Amino acid sequence: MSGEEGLPVSPPEDASPVPQPQEERREAIALVVAAASWLVPGLGHALLKMWGRAVICFVTVGVLVWVGAGMRGNLFSSRGNDAFDSLGYLADLGTGGFYWVAKSLETNGPDVSRADGDYGTRFLATAGVFNLLAALHAYEVARGRKV
Amino acid sequence: MTRWRLIELLGATIAVKLNHFQALVVFALVISIAFGFLGRRRPKDRVKYILWTLLLFVLIGVGIGWAMYPFSH
Repeated sequence: MSGEEGLPVSPPEDASPVPQPQEERREAIALVVAAASWLVPGLGHALLKMWGRAVICFVTVGVLVWVGAGMRGNLFSSRGNDAFDSLGYLADLGTGGFYWVAKSLETNGPDVSRADGDYGTRFLATAGVFNLLAALHAYEVARGRKV
Repeated sequence: MTRWRLIELLGATIAVKLNHFQALVVFALVISIAFGFLGRRRPKDRVKYILWTLLLFVLIGVGIGWAMYPFSH
């Protein structure tokens, strides 16, 4: 490669950023942290030694699931009838392992004929969405983009 | 009226009965604390953030409730 005056021209340094091995390793660790955070609320932050946030995430998701299931909220399944059911399933699935905890707590099944059941449904969905947010936070911290 | 009808601590069955306002306060409190810890680092900032978020949650929730009141009658 040569320039107009016949001088060799080196390509710009940031033209094609090649991920360094250290960057790739950090990204892999961040993904593991995110997955752990989703599966067990707070585990991602615990792996990053952020103990206070880990406890808060676990307790928050736990309380929301406990109250939501206690109010007999609807825990959506994968066999949804419409888009709202599917979105609800995604939100509930966000609780990770607590999805099955909620299932085991609701021995009498959901009852959304009363306002309590409807509130419970929101509590369960909020638990899932909050856990996804916490997993995203842990992922960003592991990548070094947040503190 | 609050009624914790049945709580089997070691069992699988629980039943929680809260009225509208109690559900709102429980929700606001839990989420405010969680947001405070996730969003702020210094303890003083966290406390300020938690209290401010809790206040807004409750006030806006009650406000929306009052705004919708005429439509329920």
